Amino acid sequence: MSFNIIGKKIPKKDAPFKVTGQALYIDDVELPGMLYGKILYSKYPHARILHIDTSKAEKLPGVKAVITAKDFPPHFRIGFMKDNPPLKGTKVLSTRDEIAAVCAISPEIAEEALDLISVEYEVLQGIFDPLVAMREDAPILHEEVGSNILKLPWRLVCGDVEKAKKESAYVVEDTFTTQWVTHCCLATSGCVAYFDVNNNLTMYSNTQIPSLAQNEFLEALTALGLRNRRVRIIQVTIGGGFGSKLDTYPYEYIAILLALKTRKPVKIVFSRDEEFFATSPRQCTITKISQGCDRDGRLTFREVEMILDNGAYTSWGATTPSVMMMPISSLYRVPNVKYTATCVYTNNTYCQAMRGYGNPQATFAIESSLDHLAEESGIDPYDLRIINANEPGEITPQGFRVTTCGLKECIEEVAKRLNWKEKRGRGLKKRGVGIASLIHVGGGARVYKSDGCGTIIKMDDFGKVDVFTGASDIGQGADTVIAQIVAEELGVPVEDVNVIHNDTDICPWDVGVHASRTTFVAGNSALFAAKKIKKKLLEILSKLLEVPPEDVAIKNGIAFSKSDPQKSIPLARALRRIHFTTGGSMLMAEHFYDPQNENLNKEFRGNLSAAYAYGTHGVEVEVDTETGKVKILKYVAAHDVGRAINPLLLEGQIYGGVLQGIGYALSEKMIYDNGYLKNGNFLDYKILTVRDVPPVEIVIIETNEEAGPFGAKGIGEPGLVPTAPAIANAIYDAVGVRIRDLPITPEKVLKALKEKNKG
Amino acid sequence: MKRFDYHVPQSIEEALNLFKSLGDAIYIAGGTDVMVNIKRKKISPKNLISLRNITALKVIEKGKELKIGSCVTHEQLLKDKYIEKYYTALHDAVRKLGSKQIRNVATIGGNICNAAPSADTACPLLVFDTKVLIRNEKGERKIPLHDFFLGPYSVSKDEGEIVTGFEITFLPPYSGSAYIKHSRREAMDLAIVSVATRLTLSPEVDIDFLKREAGEKTYSEFESRLLSYGITVKEARIAMGVVAPRPLRAKEAEDYLCGKRLTDEAIREASEIASSVAKPRDTLRGEAWYRREMVKVLTRRAILLSAKRAFD
Ligand SMILES: Cc1cc2nc3c(=O)[nH]c(=O)nc-3n(C[C@H](O)[C@H](O)[C@H](O)COP(=O)(O)OP(=O)(O)OC[C@H]3O[C@@H](n4cnc5c(N)ncnc54)[C@H](O)[C@@H]3O)c2cc1C
Repeated sequence: MSFNIIGKKIPKKDAPFKVTGQALYIDDVELPGMLYGKILYSKYPHARILHIDTSKAEKLPGVKAVITAKDFPPHFRIGFMKDNPPLKGTKVLSTRDEIAAVCAISPEIAEEALDLISVEYEVLQGIFDPLVAMREDAPILHEEVGSNILKLPWRLVCGDVEKAKKESAYVVEDTFTTQWVTHCCLATSGCVAYFDVNNNLTMYSNTQIPSLAQNEFLEALTALGLRNRRVRIIQVTIGGGFGSKLDTYPYEYIAILLALKTRKPVKIVFSRDEEFFATSPRQCTITKISQGCDRDGRLTFREVEMILDNGAYTSWGATTPSVMMMPISSLYRVPNVKYTATCVYTNNTYCQAMRGYGNPQATFAIESSLDHLAEESGIDPYDLRIINANEPGEITPQGFRVTTCGLKECIEEVAKRLNWKEKRGRGLKKRGVGIASLIHVGGGARVYKSDGCGTIIKMDDFGKVDVFTGASDIGQGADTVIAQIVAEELGVPVEDVNVIHNDTDICPWDVGVHASRTTFVAGNSALFAAKKIKKKLLEILSKLLEVPPEDVAIKNGIAFSKSDPQKSIPLARALRRIHFTTGGSMLMAEHFYDPQNENLNKEFRGNLSAAYAYGTHGVEVEVDTETGKVKILKYVAAHDVGRAINPLLLEGQIYGGVLQGIGYALSEKMIYDNGYLKNGNFLDYKILTVRDVPPVEIVIIETNEEAGPFGAKGIGEPGLVPTAPAIANAIYDAVGVRIRDLPITPEKVLKALKEKNKG
Repeated sequence: MKRFDYHVPQSIEEALNLFKSLGDAIYIAGGTDVMVNIKRKKISPKNLISLRNITALKVIEKGKELKIGSCVTHEQLLKDKYIEKYYTALHDAVRKLGSKQIRNVATIGGNICNAAPSADTACPLLVFDTKVLIRNEKGERKIPLHDFFLGPYSVSKDEGEIVTGFEITFLPPYSGSAYIKHSRREAMDLAIVSVATRLTLSPEVDIDFLKREAGEKTYSEFESRLLSYGITVKEARIAMGVVAPRPLRAKEAEDYLCGKRLTDEAIREASEIASSVAKPRDTLRGEAWYRREMVKVLTRRAILLSAKRAFD
């Protein structure tokens, strides 16, 4: 197939707006009479609240409202398990617990008012280790739940692991741990809430889930006694999401209540400090993993037991095991699988989705353990992966129906570019190579009842196209990719397609930007809507050009007869002709696309995604054995993407993913000390800088996924999934130490080297 | 953030007078420490007196001594070929200091007056036996940089005094220096530990031959040769960052090395001594054991690099 616009490196449509400062971020939103909200957080990670005195704050000139838990309905809770009151009235369970909030005519006054609120606490013993929280005698943090263990028993059993273990020629067992990391969005979280005279709510927001947030805010309005109201969400330019804005948070409900009380727009925008300690990071995990293979290296079983620190409340982080199941059951062919995960309440920060949704933690364990198995069995890690690589047409133990699968090509390509055969196992100059692969959902993921996205499309009198999509753009380039898809289908220049994606009053429903689903789901939705409008258009053009519809083609905004190209008409003129006649019409179409994938059933089986994305990362490192520092000399990332709709954006996604992945592997960690975040700033939270970027080579493998728009699969998250194990494996190859705890700091490497040399 | 007034005097005298008349004031150069401290509510001065318009403070003078004005920016230092050639440790330090944006405004005077244990220009200036030039109403005084540092963020000067610059005597021939910053990132990071060294050698072998070797051989080849020539160390300076409340000289290690022949063994011993002089703590940014260990590694590497550079 040849394309005009698909497959072209087209710069992001929003780039000029962002680089010139024209893009409107949440901080830029100013409404008449707007007030500024600020939140008072708990001083202690675990305490009873004895008394809150807000009287002094209320009297401060410029303060318009002060609210505490008593201003919310008593049983109002938010979050996935409805265990989180937006303001805490009797007990605090973490240092990010919201106790009171104020709004004032300036942020400075609001800030000053916070200092005037006094809270009396009775400090309680905190629990900061999930293993301690699981003990029988541990104090219960959520009395209403009755246990520190969440009632979310993740458990997947396929085949007979016990039997397979006995029959395996080689078996390895290891424990891996991962740390909290945070999204580090360039723009911090925030919203502006306001009510009109009819008590309908408008929220300016940088949410990733406009439709779901709309639903949750409606519930909140009902709880506040405002029935049958409207909620309109207007998304501003979102300066990064990475999963952090996939839920609604207390600050949003606080802004809503402050706006309701004052009848004024109320803005709450997080400071960088708040963004660090009051947003929800990627969950930390303790993973025990065992894998085995037969004499020929065929995997026989995989058994994984995981404990997740849920933190004080429950957001989507607690559901990441549903995605961890995917690599555990389906990365490489493994017939017998057992996986259990326990989420545990502690007095730490509560966790959320973050790019990869559990997959990075699980893949770190699987792919590190696989290298261990390779060593145990004496099989080259590359060969072990090729032997077990997934193939098209396969149905995995969890019930995933693999359509396209370029895993083998990815592994081969990475090995070739790394010069694997030459370099592996030499430990020359303390250098080594490592690889690791990934599977991820690439055709949406049915985690809610619907995995759909709606599109409305219209053409104006000038031949321009407006596409109203449910998709959200959080910087990944949805607007550009959707414009390309529509432009390709309609035969118009990509500049002529305007994508509107930021207003629930205008845009159709969508489940949200997550699970690498937007290009696949919103892309398909846009494509089918474009097909519908094109059908109408061709019929009209056929009449105007007096040729059969099959003979009409459109290119660059000009319609012509294929058999007689002399017969042509500019689209704009054709559109005006049909509009400005008696009984005229305007061209419009809509489509709601919901992919053919399945919710997991009670046994956690089902075809979660309509297509699966694969990839392999390879890395060459050099270890400084005196300092423990790891230097990345070369990085190769190969991804099966179905089709690259826009290679420029695709590469951007992968570069960004790899960088985030390297940070996860080597330097990023939120340091919590007894419930307090110690490094909530960019100086001490070591996200990599541009100077730390190693050379990254990207390999795009196109497998043309039939179900995807023009053959594409999702690629939003995969770029960071196998990074950490690839690096860990390379370090092992270089100097013979395996670090099982992320991040792999110089201290850990040096310590391990010293121990190795002793032994 | 509390409000403040901003003053921009045109001369040192005007600045000194302003300080006296305003009372609640603080000097600001690049502001990259001051503004952070104001935002973090560590300080809340009513007045900021900017030194950035005082041109006299912005020059690098290469006369009888090397004189670096206090308001010389790190980027200015980085681009100075003379400093790169003769005061290489200082060049090493500014190369990895902050980022280009920071280097464009941040000054050497601010770095030294702020006196963070991790201040990157501190150790290089220490190994060059730098003197601090200080102005007050009465006139100018001059004190060794080593005596200027009192503790973390604390220096030996009155609040109203202005540091005008730094004086460095010319180094004898066959001097070489190096600064190694051990950090987690390549930019925008503070050192876990850092070490600066300066050696002045007195080669008793054919110097031209050595020079040729230095030019022709790769670094690692030259390094191993270098240590077999039996070159005598005439003078040694070793300074360490983030191993004590203030940038610290490892005088014991310097004394040990002085007069010795430069051998692998001697360098290792000096590094051990430096490490034993260091008194690092466990902090968020690094553990004490690791810091002590790194002092050893970095001192050795910096000495080797200095020795090699002595022949560049
Ligand atoms: C993002 C970032 C990264 C950084 N990275 C590094 C790094 O890698 N390494 C490093 O060492 N530092 C780093 N810093 C700290 C800072 O940039 C340096 O210490 C810088 O040299 C300070 O210089 P300045 O001109 O900005 O000082 P200012 O902030 O203007 O002043 C600092 C202090 O010195 C006083 N002062 C300044 N000039 C004089 C003078 N002439 N006489 C008397 N008193 C004076 C001021 O009153 C103030 O107390 C970083 C800072 C930031 C914000």
